[in-house]
Amino acid sequence: MYVILVYDVNVARVGKVLKIARKYLNWVQNSVLEGELTEATFRALKADMERIIDPEEDSLLFYVLGNQKYAKRELMGIKKGGEEWIF
Amino acid sequence: MQKTLYLFASGRLRRKDNTICVESEEGTKYFPVTSLRDIVVFGEVDLNKKLLEFMQENEVVLHFFGHYGNYVGSFYPREHYNSGYVILRQAEHYLDPGRRLNLARKFVEGALANILQVLRYYQNRGKDLAPYIEPIACLAGDRLSLCGNIEELMAIEGNARAYYYDSFNIILEGAPFVIKGRSKRPPADPLNALISFGNSLIYTKVLTEIYKTHLDPRIGYLHATNFRRFTLNLDVAEIFKPIFADRVLFTLVGKKMIGSGDFKRHGAAVLLKESGRRLYVKELEDKLQTTFYHRRLKRNVSYQTLIRLELYKLEKHLIGEETYEPFVSRW
Repeated sequence: MYVILVYDVNVARVGKVLKIARKYLNWVQNSVLEGELTEATFRALKADMERIIDPEEDSLLFYVLGNQKYAKRELMGIKKGGEEWIF
Repeated sequence: MQKTLYLFASGRLRRKDNTICVESEEGTKYFPVTSLRDIVVFGEVDLNKKLLEFMQENEVVLHFFGHYGNYVGSFYPREHYNSGYVILRQAEHYLDPGRRLNLARKFVEGALANILQVLRYYQNRGKDLAPYIEPIACLAGDRLSLCGNIEELMAIEGNARAYYYDSFNIILEGAPFVIKGRSKRPPADPLNALISFGNSLIYTKVLTEIYKTHLDPRIGYLHATNFRRFTLNLDVAEIFKPIFADRVLFTLVGKKMIGSGDFKRHGAAVLLKESGRRLYVKELEDKLQTTFYHRRLKRNVSYQTLIRLELYKLEKHLIGEETYEPFVSRW
C-alpha cells in the first residue's frame, strides 16, 4: 500500500516523529512523507509513533492508498524531496 | 515491494536515526531501511562498522563496484535463515557427479531456452535470425541431453553464446554499435561493456535473493565450487541473463537511449560512464519491477520475485520434493 503521512505535532516532538517516519517513508517536504509499505511495516510504523506522541496534543494523518497508480501528484514550485533509489 | 538503492554519489554512507543516510556534496539524503533490500555502491563512499552492524540487523546486502564498473565484492551479512539440512543436501548434490550434472544441465537448458525465446521475439519482428536460432536450438536439444560431463556442458553453452552474441548485430541493425564476439576483461566495445555490466548486476541481484533463502551461495553446480567466491548465484543468473540483462541492452541501444557519449575508452577497454550506468540501472529496475501473471501461482508476480521463486524451486529439488525445472519465458 502507498502511504502519505502528514503530521502536526508539538515542537517538542517534531524531531522524534520525523526520525521515526524516515525509517519507513521518504521525506517529501516539511511534515510530509510518503512511500510504499506492507501491512506489517505500516503497523510497525504506527506502533512506533504511538509510543512517542501525545494523543492530546499531536496529530498524525495517514492517507492510505491501495495503489499509487490511482493517485496523481502535481508539483508546483521547487521539488524538495521524494522517492529516489538512484542517488 | 522492497527497493534497491543504487549509490552513485560519493560521500559518507552512515547509520543515522536508525535509518540509512548518505551525506554527499549534493546534500544529505535519508533512505527508509524498512523498504530496502540491498544497496549497490558505485561511488566512493566511506562507511563504518556501525553501518555494517545495522545492515546485518536489517538484513540488507551491500554490493560494491569498482571505479571501472567491475564487481568488487559484497557484504553478505550473517545468515539469518540457517539450515544445516539444506546445506547438506546442497553439498550432496554437488558431490554426486550424476546429480551435479543433472542440475548443471538444467541451468544451461534454462539459459538456452531463454536465449531462443529472445531471438524468436526479434524474428517475429522481421529480423532474419534463422541462421542463429537453428544452431542454438540444435545445441539446446540433442547435444545438451547427450553430454556427459560439466566441461562438455560449458562448451555447449559457450558455442551457443557465440552464435547468440553474433546475432546482436542483426537485432541491433542500424544502431551505432557492432559487436565482434564476446570480450571480457576488458570489454573491447560498447556492447561488450553493456553485457558485462548487466551480467554483473544480475549476479548481485541473484545473490541478494539467495541471502533470503536457506541456500548457501558458495555451492554452485555449473560453475565449480572453489575456495574464493560465490558460485550458486552465477548458476541461477544464467537463466535470467538473456531475459533481463540482454533485453535491457536491446531496449537501451535499440531505442537509442544510450549513445557513444555514454562510454569512454580506457586503454584497450571500453567502459560505461556514470551517465550510461544510471540509464542501465534505471531500465533494469523498471524491468524487475514489472509484474506478470504467474500461471502456477495464479497471481501477479514481479520479475524480482521470480528470481526468488526460482531459488525456492531449487530448494525443493535439493530436499527431494519436486524436480527442478528452470524458468522459461513464454514471451
